[in-house]
Amino acid sequence: MTDNIYLPKIGRIVGIDEETQGARAIKTFKVEFPNDDGFEHDCGQCAMLSMFGKGESMISIASSPLVKEYKQFSIMKMGRVTSAFHAAKIGDFIGIRGPYGNQFPLDDWKGRDLVFIGGGVGLAPIWPVIQTAVARREDFGKITVFYGARSSSDIMYETDFEKLKASAEVQLSVDAPEEDWQGYTGFVPANLMDKAPSPDNAIAITCGPPIMIKFVIQNLQALGFADEQIYTTIENKMKCGVGKCGRCNVGKDYVCVKGPVYSWSELRSLPQEY
Amino acid sequence: MEKILNQEKLREWVDMLDDCEVYAPAFADSVWNYARVEAGTDIDLSHTNTIGSVKEFVFPQREVFFRFEKKDGVPVLTATLPDPKPTVVFGVRPCDGRGMPRNDTVFNKEFEDPYYWARRDKLTLVGLACNQPHSPNCFCQSVGGSPHSEDGLDILMTDLGDRFHVKGITVKGVEAMERGRDAFGAVRDGDQAETEKVHDTSRSHPQRPLGNLDAIPEAIRESFDSPLWADMAQHCIGCGICTFLCPTCHCFDINDEVISPTTGEGERVRTWDNCQFPDFTMHTSGHNPRADLGSRLRQRVSHKFLYFVENHKTQQCTGCGRCITECPVGIDIVAVLERVSQS
Ligand SMILES: Cc1cc2nc3c(=O)[nH]c(=O)nc-3n(C[C@H](O)[C@H](O)[C@H](O)COP(=O)(O)OP(=O)(O)OC[C@H]3O[C@@H](n4cnc5c(N)ncnc54)[C@H](O)[C@@H]3O)c2cc1C
Ligand code: SF4
Ligand code: SF4
Ligand code: FES
Repeated sequence: MTDNIYLPKIGRIVGIDEETQGARAIKTFKVEFPNDDGFEHDCGQCAMLSMFGKGESMISIASSPLVKEYKQFSIMKMGRVTSAFHAAKIGDFIGIRGPYGNQFPLDDWKGRDLVFIGGGVGLAPIWPVIQTAVARREDFGKITVFYGARSSSDIMYETDFEKLKASAEVQLSVDAPEEDWQGYTGFVPANLMDKAPSPDNAIAITCGPPIMIKFVIQNLQALGFADEQIYTTIENKMKCGVGKCGRCNVGKDYVCVKGPVYSWSELRSLPQEY
Repeated sequence: MEKILNQEKLREWVDMLDDCEVYAPAFADSVWNYARVEAGTDIDLSHTNTIGSVKEFVFPQREVFFRFEKKDGVPVLTATLPDPKPTVVFGVRPCDGRGMPRNDTVFNKEFEDPYYWARRDKLTLVGLACNQPHSPNCFCQSVGGSPHSEDGLDILMTDLGDRFHVKGITVKGVEAMERGRDAFGAVRDGDQAETEKVHDTSRSHPQRPLGNLDAIPEAIRESFDSPLWADMAQHCIGCGICTFLCPTCHCFDINDEVISPTTGEGERVRTWDNCQFPDFTMHTSGHNPRADLGSRLRQRVSHKFLYFVENHKTQQCTGCGRCITECPVGIDIVAVLERVSQS
């Protein structure tokens, strides 16, 4: 039987973590495949998740490819599908098709320093890269993770961040002043300038809201990072995920197939439409 | 395979295709469009072009991907892959025929679309060469086609007045001709020459000129930031007619339609969508990479004359002229390309 590219596999939610509260709350879901028909993925790839009756949404696979038992997704409550996820309980069934898109070229970065810069739910797509890099600690130089949230209660993966400090430098920031806050106060791009990581033999990987990415890239360039040393992802609206519905088009690329991961040197050659 | 078919024998051939669903152009509600041909009825090939294109046979405006329901709390999915009868479409103009291989590349490639191919594999396109351009907006020759192009067609018929010259191009086409064997006659002296003459005359009719086709991609690339696009799109009402009627536009939406909220039963449905609608690219956050009409017109034209060329070495436009003729406010893709090329 040939695969029907539009027919999802069935997954079951086996864990739910409430990451942040509020109107745009984030929850992390652990999903298993009860029918044993899961799939392998690479760092940076995503999946189309279904809530039957509500529709589908493209969500980054936030667990490391090294984790085989389940896949993890961190979902911000935005609209129909994502709200249905937020209303879901452990044991509920969902649809999954994928994996879609390209990957971060982690193997090409052996021996180099890695600087991760995430904002908000934009940490999710780069989290599997961080996890995999840490798991292969001896392959890389210094690992630094910048992460900014609106307030300290908006920080994702809080307990995992504590663990991460053992193998990476962690630079957290919140947007507005808070009592007892130990990290940086201000936006992520400013924290990046403040700590000024060296571009020597380094790769920078950033993901977050479009406006954050824009300023982070400007600042990375000011710090001396070349276009080939900067990686990011594009989050265009998506429906099919397989390069047919035309929605995620940027120039000649269907981002769902050719992206979402791009180096800044590749991205610069595409029309600025994302 | 080349044969001659007397005009009055057309009906005989169609009747011998009785194990197929046969469609042909029919005039109703003041437009020509494809309609099912019932056994024993005549078909009329005096049409200019149909309002809808043959893409509808492989990519219908609405189709169900699968049904979902819950059994003991577990979702059960039933794919509703189409299983059509072999289908033969008569009177396909060569511009529409040329649309088909372009659609094939989109629905093929890395991820094959099983819904498209279930229909496509069973479809035979019987083309009809244009004895003269049927609309003042035709420009097939400017985009590498011709009024008797065989590209994408299984059979090409040429109207010689009292008879048709019928050429089987693909295996499917030859099969359809063999099915109607008794209706056909042999090609005799002079038939070939007459067919060529009809083709030559048709080619010599003036069409909308497009200037230097090879220079268009670069001109579009260079005009990306130009105010020209907003200016040209000023009157656009974003109705999407230009893309819905186009034989090569293929963008779509996917949505769930709930049949019963109590049982959780419903369908996942694909429907046509298009880049001229404002919410086509709008994120839930409100961020929209193509928020204005100008950038959306630019996308439609760029996709057809720049991005598709980069990906597939050919335009995603076959010069059928529908988007020009049917646009309610007169936005004209040839004029748009002309202005972009001259800027
Ligand atoms: C490559 C990629 C990775 C993503 N990763 C994550 C993630 O890890 N966590 C997360 O919370 N969100 C992620 N998103 C965004 C997420 O897909 C949208 O927020 C979500 O689809 C909104 O769906 P909804 O049904 O709740 O909204 P509605 O407004 O009810 O539905 C709109 C529909 O439009 C589409 N859509 C709307 N906004 C977006 C958007 N920003 N991106 C893509 N499609 C959109 C979807 O098909 C969605 O079903 C990602 C998007 C992309 C493209
Ligand atoms: S048909 Fe004309 S008015 Fe309608 S979207 Fe196309 S260009 Fe705009
Ligand atoms: S773009 Fe216009 S002229 Fe070209 S194929 Fe489509 S409808 Fe026909
Ligand atoms: S999501 Fe359909 S083409 Fe990319």
